Amino acid sequence: MKFKSFLYLFILLILIWLTLTSTFHLQELTVGILVSFILALSLTENYIDLGLPALSAKKIMFFIFYIVILFKEIIMANLDVAYRILHPKMPIKPGIVIIRTGLKSDIAKMVLANSITLTPGTFTLDILGDNLLIHWINVKAENIDEATKIIGEKFEKYLRVIFG
Amino acid sequence: MRKIISLILLGIVCVGIIFALYSIPFGKDKIKVGKHYIYNGIKETGAVNIVTSVVLNYRGFDTLGEVTILFIAALGLGVVLYGKKKKRKEGLEPASLVLYTGCRFLFPLILLFGAYIFIHGHLTPGGGFQGGAIIASGFLLSYLGCPRKWISKERFNITESLGGLVFVIMGLIGLTIGGYFLSNFLPKGIANTLFSAGIIPILYCAVGFKVGAELAGIIYNMIE
Repeated sequence: MKFKSFLYLFILLILIWLTLTSTFHLQELTVGILVSFILALSLTENYIDLGLPALSAKKIMFFIFYIVILFKEIIMANLDVAYRILHPKMPIKPGIVIIRTGLKSDIAKMVLANSITLTPGTFTLDILGDNLLIHWINVKAENIDEATKIIGEKFEKYLRVIFG
Repeated sequence: MRKIISLILLGIVCVGIIFALYSIPFGKDKIKVGKHYIYNGIKETGAVNIVTSVVLNYRGFDTLGEVTILFIAALGLGVVLYGKKKKRKEGLEPASLVLYTGCRFLFPLILLFGAYIFIHGHLTPGGGFQGGAIIASGFLLSYLGCPRKWISKERFNITESLGGLVFVIMGLIGLTIGGYFLSNFLPKGIANTLFSAGIIPILYCAVGFKVGAELAGIIYNMIE
Protein backbone atom coordinates (compact mmCIF):
# COMPACT_ATOMS: atom_id res chain seq x y z
CA MET A 1 0.00 0.00 0.00
CA LYS A 2 2.77 2.37 0.92
CA PHE A 3 4.76 1.53 -2.19
CA LYS A 4 1.71 2.02 -4.37
CA SER A 5 1.02 5.53 -3.09
CA PHE A 6 4.71 6.34 -3.43
CA LEU A 7 4.65 5.27 -7.07
CA TYR A 8 1.44 7.20 -7.66
CA LEU A 9 2.85 10.42 -6.25
CA PHE A 10 6.18 9.93 -8.03
CA ILE A 11 4.58 9.50 -11.46
CA LEU A 12 2.21 12.42 -10.85
CA LEU A 13 5.12 14.68 -9.88
CA ILE A 14 7.18 13.66 -12.91
CA LEU A 15 4.24 14.30 -15.23
CA ILE A 16 3.79 17.78 -13.74
CA TRP A 17 7.53 18.45 -14.02
CA LEU A 18 7.42 17.47 -17.71
CA THR A 19 4.45 19.78 -18.30
CA LEU A 20 6.23 22.66 -16.57
CA THR A 21 9.55 22.26 -18.38
CA SER A 22 7.98 20.95 -21.64
CA THR A 23 11.22 19.36 -22.76
CA PHE A 24 12.91 15.96 -22.65
CA HIS A 25 16.38 17.45 -22.23
CA LEU A 26 18.59 15.07 -20.25
CA GLN A 27 19.59 17.60 -17.57
CA GLU A 28 15.99 18.64 -16.97
CA LEU A 29 14.92 15.01 -16.73
CA THR A 30 17.65 14.17 -14.23
CA VAL A 31 16.82 17.06 -11.93
CA GLY A 32 13.08 16.41 -12.32
CA ILE A 33 13.42 12.75 -11.37
CA LEU A 34 15.64 13.66 -8.42
CA VAL A 35 13.25 16.32 -7.07
CA SER A 36 10.20 14.12 -7.62
CA PHE A 37 11.91 11.19 -5.91
CA ILE A 38 12.80 13.22 -2.81
CA LEU A 39 9.34 14.79 -2.57
CA ALA A 40 7.57 11.49 -3.15
CA LEU A 41 9.74 9.73 -0.59
CA SER A 42 9.12 12.31 2.13
CA LEU A 43 5.43 12.95 1.48
CA THR A 44 4.08 9.49 0.71
CA GLU A 45 1.96 9.39 3.85
CA ASN A 46 -0.14 12.28 2.56
CA TYR A 47 -1.33 10.03 -0.24
CA ILE A 48 -1.88 6.75 1.62
CA ASP A 49 -5.46 7.21 2.78
CA LEU A 50 -6.66 9.42 -0.07
CA GLY A 51 -8.10 6.40 -1.88
CA LEU A 52 -6.66 7.13 -5.30
CA PRO A 53 -7.98 4.69 -7.90
CA ALA A 54 -5.87 2.21 -9.82
CA LEU A 55 -5.45 3.58 -13.31
CA SER A 56 -6.79 1.93 -16.43
CA ALA A 57 -7.46 3.11 -19.96
CA LYS A 58 -11.19 3.06 -19.38
CA LYS A 59 -10.93 5.26 -16.29
CA ILE A 60 -8.75 7.82 -18.06
CA MET A 61 -11.21 7.94 -20.96
CA PHE A 62 -14.06 8.50 -18.51
CA PHE A 63 -12.06 11.19 -16.73
CA ILE A 64 -11.54 13.15 -19.96
CA PHE A 65 -15.21 12.70 -20.76
CA TYR A 66 -16.07 13.88 -17.25
CA ILE A 67 -14.13 17.11 -17.75
CA VAL A 68 -16.13 17.80 -20.93
CA ILE A 69 -19.40 17.13 -19.09
CA LEU A 70 -18.29 19.37 -16.22
CA PHE A 71 -17.57 22.24 -18.61
CA LYS A 72 -20.95 21.81 -20.28
CA GLU A 73 -22.70 21.86 -16.90
CA ILE A 74 -20.75 24.95 -15.80
CA ILE A 75 -21.74 26.85 -18.96
CA MET A 76 -25.40 25.82 -18.68
CA ALA A 77 -25.55 26.74 -15.00
CA ASN A 78 -23.86 30.08 -15.75
CA LEU A 79 -26.55 30.94 -18.28
CA ASP A 80 -29.26 29.86 -15.84
CA VAL A 81 -27.89 31.98 -12.98
CA ALA A 82 -27.36 34.96 -15.30
CA TYR A 83 -30.99 34.67 -16.39
CA ARG A 84 -32.14 34.59 -12.79
CA ILE A 85 -30.12 37.69 -11.90
CA LEU A 86 -31.13 39.74 -14.95
CA HIS A 87 -34.80 38.83 -14.77
CA PRO A 88 -36.74 41.81 -13.31
CA LYS A 89 -38.57 39.62 -10.79
CA MET A 90 -35.40 37.70 -9.83
CA PRO A 91 -36.92 34.23 -9.53
CA ILE A 92 -34.60 32.80 -6.88
CA LYS A 93 -35.45 30.57 -3.94
CA PRO A 94 -32.27 30.14 -1.92
CA GLY A 95 -31.97 27.41 0.65
CA ILE A 96 -29.81 24.61 1.99
CA VAL A 97 -30.47 21.00 1.01
CA ILE A 98 -28.80 17.70 1.82
CA ILE A 99 -27.83 15.21 -0.86
CA ARG A 100 -26.54 11.71 -0.48
CA THR A 101 -23.52 10.22 -2.22
CA GLY A 102 -22.51 6.64 -2.79
CA LEU A 103 -18.85 7.48 -3.25
CA LYS A 104 -16.55 6.04 -0.61
CA SER A 105 -13.01 7.45 -0.95
CA ASP A 106 -12.03 10.92 0.26
CA ILE A 107 -10.69 12.07 -3.09
CA ALA A 108 -13.87 11.05 -4.92
CA LYS A 109 -15.99 12.98 -2.43
CA MET A 110 -13.70 15.98 -2.84
CA VAL A 111 -14.00 15.91 -6.63
CA LEU A 112 -17.78 15.66 -6.38
CA ALA A 113 -17.98 18.52 -3.87
CA ASN A 114 -15.70 20.72 -5.95
CA SER A 115 -17.65 19.96 -9.14
CA ILE A 116 -20.86 21.00 -7.40
CA THR A 117 -19.19 24.16 -6.13
CA LEU A 118 -17.79 25.00 -9.56
CA THR A 119 -21.22 24.95 -11.18
CA PRO A 120 -22.82 28.30 -10.38
CA GLY A 121 -25.99 28.17 -8.31
CA THR A 122 -24.94 25.29 -6.11
CA PHE A 123 -22.29 25.41 -3.42
CA THR A 124 -20.99 22.66 -1.16
CA LEU A 125 -20.85 23.83 2.44
CA ASP A 126 -19.59 20.66 4.07
CA ILE A 127 -19.36 16.91 3.80
CA LEU A 128 -20.71 14.88 6.70
CA GLY A 129 -20.18 11.16 6.18
CA ASP A 130 -22.21 10.26 3.11
CA ASN A 131 -24.17 13.51 3.07
CA LEU A 132 -23.27 16.74 1.33
CA LEU A 133 -24.64 20.02 2.64
CA ILE A 134 -25.46 22.20 -0.34
CA HIS A 135 -26.56 25.80 -0.69
CA TRP A 136 -28.83 26.06 -3.71
CA ILE A 137 -29.87 29.31 -5.35
CA ASN A 138 -33.16 27.90 -6.62
CA VAL A 139 -34.35 25.02 -4.50
CA LYS A 140 -36.36 22.73 -6.74
CA ALA A 141 -36.72 19.84 -4.33
CA GLU A 142 -36.27 19.66 -0.58
CA ASN A 143 -36.46 15.89 -0.41
CA ILE A 144 -33.06 14.13 -0.16
CA ASP A 145 -33.67 11.67 -2.99
CA GLU A 146 -34.95 14.23 -5.47
CA ALA A 147 -32.24 16.74 -4.63
CA THR A 148 -29.61 14.02 -5.08
CA LYS A 149 -31.04 13.19 -8.47
CA ILE A 150 -31.00 16.81 -9.67
CA ILE A 151 -27.66 17.97 -8.25
CA GLY A 152 -25.42 15.00 -7.72
CA GLU A 153 -26.40 12.28 -10.13
CA LYS A 154 -25.12 13.93 -13.33
CA PHE A 155 -21.58 13.94 -11.89
CA GLU A 156 -21.76 10.86 -9.76
CA LYS A 157 -22.49 8.39 -12.52
CA TYR A 158 -19.08 9.19 -14.07
CA LEU A 159 -17.26 9.42 -10.75
CA ARG A 160 -18.53 5.96 -9.77
CA VAL A 161 -16.69 4.54 -12.78
CA ILE A 162 -13.55 6.65 -12.32
CA PHE A 163 -13.09 6.07 -8.60
CA GLY A 164 -14.99 2.78 -8.33
CA MET B 1 -11.27 76.06 4.63
CA ARG B 2 -9.74 72.66 5.18
CA LYS B 3 -10.73 71.62 1.70
CA ILE B 4 -9.04 74.63 0.15
CA ILE B 5 -5.83 74.00 2.06
CA SER B 6 -5.78 70.34 1.05
CA LEU B 7 -6.43 71.32 -2.57
CA ILE B 8 -3.52 73.72 -2.52
CA LEU B 9 -1.26 71.07 -0.96
CA LEU B 10 -2.37 68.56 -3.58
CA GLY B 11 -1.59 71.08 -6.31
CA ILE B 12 1.91 71.63 -4.96
CA VAL B 13 2.56 67.89 -4.82
CA CYS B 14 1.22 67.47 -8.38
CA VAL B 15 3.44 70.23 -9.76
CA GLY B 16 6.43 68.74 -7.98
CA ILE B 17 5.81 65.27 -9.40
CA ILE B 18 5.22 66.64 -12.90
CA PHE B 19 8.48 68.61 -12.84
CA ALA B 20 10.37 65.64 -11.47
CA LEU B 21 9.02 63.27 -14.11
CA TYR B 22 9.38 65.79 -16.91
CA SER B 23 13.13 65.90 -16.59
CA ILE B 24 13.47 62.10 -17.05
CA PRO B 25 13.86 61.20 -20.72
CA PHE B 26 11.59 58.25 -21.40
CA GLY B 27 12.73 55.45 -23.67
CA LYS B 28 16.37 56.57 -23.81
CA ASP B 29 18.98 54.42 -22.16
CA LYS B 30 20.96 56.87 -20.16
CA ILE B 31 22.69 54.75 -17.57
CA LYS B 32 25.88 53.05 -18.65
CA VAL B 33 25.60 50.29 -16.07
CA GLY B 34 22.22 49.19 -17.43
CA LYS B 35 23.57 49.03 -20.96
CA HIS B 36 26.51 46.96 -19.78
CA TYR B 37 24.21 44.47 -18.06
CA ILE B 38 21.99 44.11 -21.12
CA TYR B 39 24.73 43.63 -23.71
CA ASN B 40 27.30 41.68 -21.70
CA GLY B 41 25.15 39.97 -19.07
CA ILE B 42 24.75 36.62 -20.81
CA LYS B 43 28.38 36.52 -21.92
CA GLU B 44 29.78 37.32 -18.50
CA THR B 45 27.48 35.31 -16.23
CA GLY B 46 25.94 32.64 -18.45
CA ALA B 47 22.46 33.36 -17.07
CA VAL B 48 19.81 33.95 -19.73
CA ASN B 49 17.61 35.82 -17.29
CA ILE B 50 19.31 39.21 -16.99
CA VAL B 51 17.51 40.06 -13.75
CA THR B 52 19.02 36.97 -12.17
CA SER B 53 22.49 37.83 -13.44
CA VAL B 54 22.17 41.23 -11.77
CA VAL B 55 20.66 39.93 -8.54
CA LEU B 56 23.05 37.05 -7.95
CA ASN B 57 26.19 37.99 -9.82
CA TYR B 58 26.74 41.71 -10.16
CA ARG B 59 24.92 42.46 -6.93
CA GLY B 60 25.23 39.11 -5.16
CA PHE B 61 26.51 40.64 -1.96
CA ASP B 62 23.45 42.86 -1.85
CA THR B 63 21.22 39.79 -2.11
CA LEU B 64 22.99 38.25 0.88
CA GLY B 65 22.06 41.41 2.78
CA GLU B 66 18.43 41.13 1.66
CA VAL B 67 18.23 37.55 2.82
CA THR B 68 19.69 38.63 6.14
CA ILE B 69 17.07 41.36 6.48
CA LEU B 70 14.35 38.77 5.97
CA PHE B 71 16.00 36.57 8.57
CA ILE B 72 16.11 39.42 11.08
CA ALA B 73 12.45 40.23 10.40
CA ALA B 74 11.50 36.61 11.06
CA LEU B 75 13.64 36.61 14.19
CA GLY B 76 12.05 39.84 15.43
CA LEU B 77 8.58 38.43 14.92
CA GLY B 78 9.57 35.32 16.82
CA VAL B 79 10.85 37.43 19.72
CA VAL B 80 7.71 39.58 19.79
CA LEU B 81 5.38 36.60 19.73
CA TYR B 82 7.42 34.46 22.10
CA GLY B 83 6.18 36.10 25.29
CA LYS B 84 2.52 35.68 24.47
CA LYS B 85 2.64 31.94 23.93
CA LYS B 86 -0.46 30.32 25.36
CA LYS B 87 -1.02 26.65 25.79
CA ARG B 88 -3.10 25.53 22.84
CA LYS B 89 -6.22 23.64 23.75
CA GLU B 90 -6.16 19.99 22.88
CA GLY B 91 -8.37 18.75 20.08
CA LEU B 92 -8.25 21.34 17.33
CA GLU B 93 -11.40 21.50 15.33
CA PRO B 94 -10.71 19.47 12.18
CA ALA B 95 -11.09 21.17 8.81
CA SER B 96 -13.88 20.04 6.50
CA LEU B 97 -13.22 16.98 4.38
CA VAL B 98 -12.93 19.03 1.19
CA LEU B 99 -10.11 21.18 2.57
CA TYR B 100 -8.42 18.28 4.33
CA THR B 101 -8.37 16.09 1.22
CA GLY B 102 -7.47 18.92 -1.11
CA CYS B 103 -4.57 19.97 1.06
CA ARG B 104 -3.17 16.44 1.30
CA PHE B 105 -3.47 16.08 -2.47
CA LEU B 106 -2.02 19.46 -3.43
CA PHE B 107 0.77 19.91 -0.88
CA PRO B 108 3.46 17.87 -2.74
CA LEU B 109 2.46 19.46 -6.04
CA ILE B 110 2.86 22.99 -4.63
CA LEU B 111 6.29 22.08 -3.27
CA LEU B 112 7.28 20.73 -6.70
CA PHE B 113 6.15 23.96 -8.35
CA GLY B 114 8.15 26.04 -5.88
CA ALA B 115 11.22 23.88 -6.50
CA TYR B 116 10.73 24.28 -10.25
CA ILE B 117 10.60 28.06 -9.88
CA PHE B 118 13.84 28.35 -7.92
CA ILE B 119 15.75 25.70 -9.87
CA HIS B 120 14.97 27.54 -13.12
CA GLY B 121 15.75 30.99 -11.69
CA HIS B 122 18.52 31.64 -14.23
CA LEU B 123 16.40 30.59 -17.25
CA THR B 124 12.86 31.81 -16.61
CA PRO B 125 11.30 34.68 -14.69
CA GLY B 126 11.32 33.69 -11.04
CA GLY B 127 13.98 32.63 -8.62
CA GLY B 128 14.76 31.89 -5.03
CA PHE B 129 12.54 34.48 -3.41
CA GLN B 130 9.50 33.66 -5.54
CA GLY B 131 9.99 29.90 -5.25
CA GLY B 132 10.45 30.24 -1.50
CA ALA B 133 7.21 32.21 -1.22
CA ILE B 134 5.35 29.50 -3.16
CA ILE B 135 6.74 26.81 -0.86
CA ALA B 136 5.69 28.83 2.19
CA SER B 137 2.17 29.17 0.74
CA GLY B 138 2.08 25.38 0.49
CA PHE B 139 2.95 25.17 4.19
CA LEU B 140 0.23 27.70 4.98
CA LEU B 141 -2.30 25.48 3.20
CA SER B 142 -1.04 22.49 5.12
CA TYR B 143 -1.35 24.33 8.45
CA LEU B 144 -4.92 25.34 7.69
CA GLY B 145 -6.00 22.03 6.20
CA CYS B 146 -4.26 19.33 8.19
CA PRO B 147 -3.41 20.70 11.63
CA ARG B 148 -2.37 17.27 12.91
CA LYS B 149 0.64 16.94 10.62
CA TRP B 150 2.51 20.05 11.60
CA ILE B 151 6.19 20.07 10.88
CA SER B 152 8.27 21.09 13.84
CA LYS B 153 9.95 24.48 14.05
CA GLU B 154 13.41 22.94 14.45
CA ARG B 155 13.43 21.58 10.91
CA PHE B 156 12.69 25.02 9.52
CA ASN B 157 15.53 26.49 11.54
CA ILE B 158 17.97 23.84 10.32
CA THR B 159 16.93 24.27 6.67
CA GLU B 160 17.19 28.01 6.94
CA SER B 161 20.64 27.91 8.51
CA LEU B 162 21.86 25.44 5.89
CA GLY B 163 20.59 27.71 3.10
CA GLY B 164 22.41 30.71 4.52
CA LEU B 165 25.53 28.62 5.13
CA VAL B 166 25.64 27.35 1.53
CA PHE B 167 25.33 30.92 0.23
CA VAL B 168 28.20 32.20 2.38
CA ILE B 169 30.41 29.15 1.69
CA MET B 170 29.95 29.55 -2.07
CA GLY B 171 30.90 33.19 -1.66
CA LEU B 172 34.03 32.31 0.33
CA ILE B 173 35.10 29.64 -2.19
CA GLY B 174 34.70 32.32 -4.85
CA LEU B 175 36.87 34.61 -2.75
CA THR B 176 39.70 32.08 -2.61
CA ILE B 177 39.52 30.97 -6.26
CA GLY B 178 38.30 34.00 -8.14
CA GLY B 179 39.70 36.74 -5.96
CA TYR B 180 36.48 38.39 -4.82
CA PHE B 181 33.45 37.40 -2.77
CA LEU B 182 30.85 35.40 -4.78
CA SER B 183 32.98 35.24 -7.92
CA ASN B 184 31.59 32.78 -10.46
CA PHE B 185 34.20 30.01 -10.28
CA LEU B 186 32.22 27.17 -11.90
CA PRO B 187 32.13 26.75 -15.70
CA LYS B 188 29.38 28.81 -17.32
CA GLY B 189 28.17 26.04 -19.61
CA ILE B 190 25.96 26.49 -22.64
CA ALA B 191 23.44 29.30 -22.22
CA ASN B 192 19.79 28.26 -21.90
CA THR B 193 20.48 24.80 -20.47
CA LEU B 194 19.75 23.87 -16.89
CA PHE B 195 23.37 23.30 -15.84
CA SER B 196 24.69 26.68 -16.82
CA ALA B 197 25.59 30.03 -15.29
CA GLY B 198 28.11 28.60 -12.82
CA ILE B 199 27.18 29.07 -9.18
CA ILE B 200 23.93 30.97 -9.81
CA PRO B 201 21.60 27.91 -9.69
CA ILE B 202 23.27 26.70 -6.49
CA LEU B 203 22.88 30.11 -4.90
CA TYR B 204 19.26 30.32 -5.96
CA CYS B 205 18.51 26.89 -4.51
CA ALA B 206 20.07 28.05 -1.23
CA VAL B 207 18.01 31.26 -1.31
CA GLY B 208 14.87 29.27 -2.16
CA PHE B 209 15.28 26.92 0.80
CA LYS B 210 16.16 29.79 3.12
CA VAL B 211 13.26 32.03 2.10
CA GLY B 212 10.80 29.13 2.10
CA ALA B 213 11.85 28.03 5.58
CA GLU B 214 11.84 31.60 6.90
CA LEU B 215 8.36 32.43 5.60
CA ALA B 216 6.98 29.08 6.72
CA GLY B 217 8.51 29.73 10.14
CA ILE B 218 6.78 33.15 10.25
CA ILE B 219 3.45 31.50 9.42
CA TYR B 220 4.10 28.90 12.11
CA ASN B 221 4.82 31.61 14.66
CA MET B 222 1.68 33.53 13.73
CA ILE B 223 -0.55 30.48 14.02
CA GLU B 224 0.97 29.12 17.20
